[in-house]
Amino acid sequence: MFRLPAGTYFQSYRQAHRFWPTRFMTFRMIVLLVVLFAVVPFTFSNYALSIANRIGYTILAAMGVQLLIGFTGQLTLGHAAFVAVGAYTSAIFTLTAADYASSSPFWGFLTDTGMAYPLSILLACLLAGLWSVLFGLPSARIKGFGIILTTMAAQFITVDFVIAQYVSQIGGRGHYFSIPPGTLKIGRWVLTGDRDAYFLMLILVTGVTAAMINWKRTRLGRAWIAIRDNDIAAEILGVDIVRYKQLAYFAAGMLAGLAGSFWITSLFFVSPEHFVWSNSLWWVGVILIGGVGAIDGTIFGSIFLELMLVLVNSFSVANILFLYFKDIAFGLAVIIFLLYEPNGLSYRWWQIKNYFYLWPFSYK
Amino acid sequence: MELFLQLLVSGILVGSIYALVALGWTLIYKSSSVLNLAMGELTLVGAYVCLTLYNWGIPFPVAVLGSLVMGAILGLLVERLVLRPLIGEPVLTVIMVTVGLSFLLRGLVGLIWGTDTVVFNPAVFPAESIRIGPVIITPVYLGGFVASLILLAFFVWFFQGTRWGLAMQATADDQMAALSLGVSARLVYAIAWAIAFMAAGVGGIFLGSINGLNISVGHLGLLVLPAVVLGGLNSVPGAIAGGLIIGVLQNLTGGYLDRFIPGGIKDIFPLAFMAVFLIFKPYGLWGWVKIERV
Repeated sequence: MFRLPAGTYFQSYRQAHRFWPTRFMTFRMIVLLVVLFAVVPFTFSNYALSIANRIGYTILAAMGVQLLIGFTGQLTLGHAAFVAVGAYTSAIFTLTAADYASSSPFWGFLTDTGMAYPLSILLACLLAGLWSVLFGLPSARIKGFGIILTTMAAQFITVDFVIAQYVSQIGGRGHYFSIPPGTLKIGRWVLTGDRDAYFLMLILVTGVTAAMINWKRTRLGRAWIAIRDNDIAAEILGVDIVRYKQLAYFAAGMLAGLAGSFWITSLFFVSPEHFVWSNSLWWVGVILIGGVGAIDGTIFGSIFLELMLVLVNSFSVANILFLYFKDIAFGLAVIIFLLYEPNGLSYRWWQIKNYFYLWPFSYK
Repeated sequence: MELFLQLLVSGILVGSIYALVALGWTLIYKSSSVLNLAMGELTLVGAYVCLTLYNWGIPFPVAVLGSLVMGAILGLLVERLVLRPLIGEPVLTVIMVTVGLSFLLRGLVGLIWGTDTVVFNPAVFPAESIRIGPVIITPVYLGGFVASLILLAFFVWFFQGTRWGLAMQATADDQMAALSLGVSARLVYAIAWAIAFMAAGVGGIFLGSINGLNISVGHLGLLVLPAVVLGGLNSVPGAIAGGLIIGVLQNLTGGYLDRFIPGGIKDIFPLAFMAVFLIFKPYGLWGWVKIERV
């Protein structure tokens, strides 16, 4: 639990469970949102915005991992597979809509009203969620290392086999699916540059973060946390663990689908190489560095790792060496965090906050 | 029938290499309950060290020995620096530290040796294949098989016959009892990691000399995971059997299923098979059934 500033006391559970329990916290969050929505996009350069978009994408993808590992305790090393399902669903749907816009009234209507991309996001969430449940089914019987292996199987079956060999052939577009500019639009809002992607990213990240916080304080989230802490005890207490595990897989898959359909706005093409196994591991690293089970940890971890990448990129002169330095930096970061800061960045942030809440009259 | 025999034999030959690497994995798990995901990179390191030594003109057996020594040193280092502080931590922590290790090793391997495929030059094994009855065997596979058998026999003897091996068995069985009898758990962990690095290195040398050595050989090293799960995580005979089964399975799917479902089903089938197999036998073939209490 967090400590409160001196003189603030809760008098009811309702108060204690408020979204932003104190007035100062509300003020702080509103300032943060205003800065993110109104100041950053108009003052930062396009390069900085593109980095922000990468951070946002990492947050969206890692939230699903956080939900599975941090909330439900189901280890997953194959999250990139579900992100890939989302990205490909979204890309194929919007491309089909654009292709048949002139010949078919249905696709034409979707394209003209700018409904194709929003609809494709919904479809991507649904499909990725169902695909995730398919590979989550064994969790009814196995746990621990077996689940890790199942998710690895999901990764290699989905990305290296189904998508790379079969889905990539759809429409005869070759290995890459490139999305022509102007195809992605929500209503009349055409997503063209980094700034548009930034706004979309911010809306999605804010929504997902709010959803995660809300999940955590509902019956669903409490059931997940009970399963994480001790699944046998949870079962004895009447939690239907099979059902709640599948719900966790579905929710995580939906978040992955969302991340995948956002991904196509920032690069305008998709390829199986964007969703290889190391991405899955990378996102688990994000939540470890940020803090397992902490929602703000996901955000801190994403920012830390993406900024680390920018730093590594600026140091490595030759482009080919960047890949190795990236691997080395990530490996070292994960090892060092696990050895010296196992609670992650969110714990450090919590300590800093507490210091200032109690300042200058801190007591031990 | 001839095709079947051919696939079976080459499956067993490759499977013996997997069995060797899987044995190293199981040792680490048995003695310290560390689930090691860096196995693919361990194979890479051993293979590259041996290849570099060999291409400098050092005879092949000596180069293999050199890679074994290097593997033992690296294993001891890794155990001391990274794994020992984390003994007894949750599964996720231990797994992710090995993942971090695998990224680190892969980056270092790429930095030192690059991404281009390299081959043993001059070739260690003659290129022309040997014919035994209806079955054609490539010398590389045969070499890998023989080396794996020798090492497997050596390791089995090590466990049964030496003092350190008995210490490892005792620790795997009951760590507390072993500690109270004066067995040094630290020594056991160190030996387990050294052996795992050595076994993986030898596996990598032969996997790498089949089609040349590059980063993707590390992916083959990952196939030990289905092998150990099939055998049941903490069973040494299980790891060996699992490795052989995975090798055979991989070759059979490559021979029969690839025609109907083209596109590399050979590489993913062991994992897919595992995912289904686990539903029916969650503890593998010979694994210990864990009884959990609240």
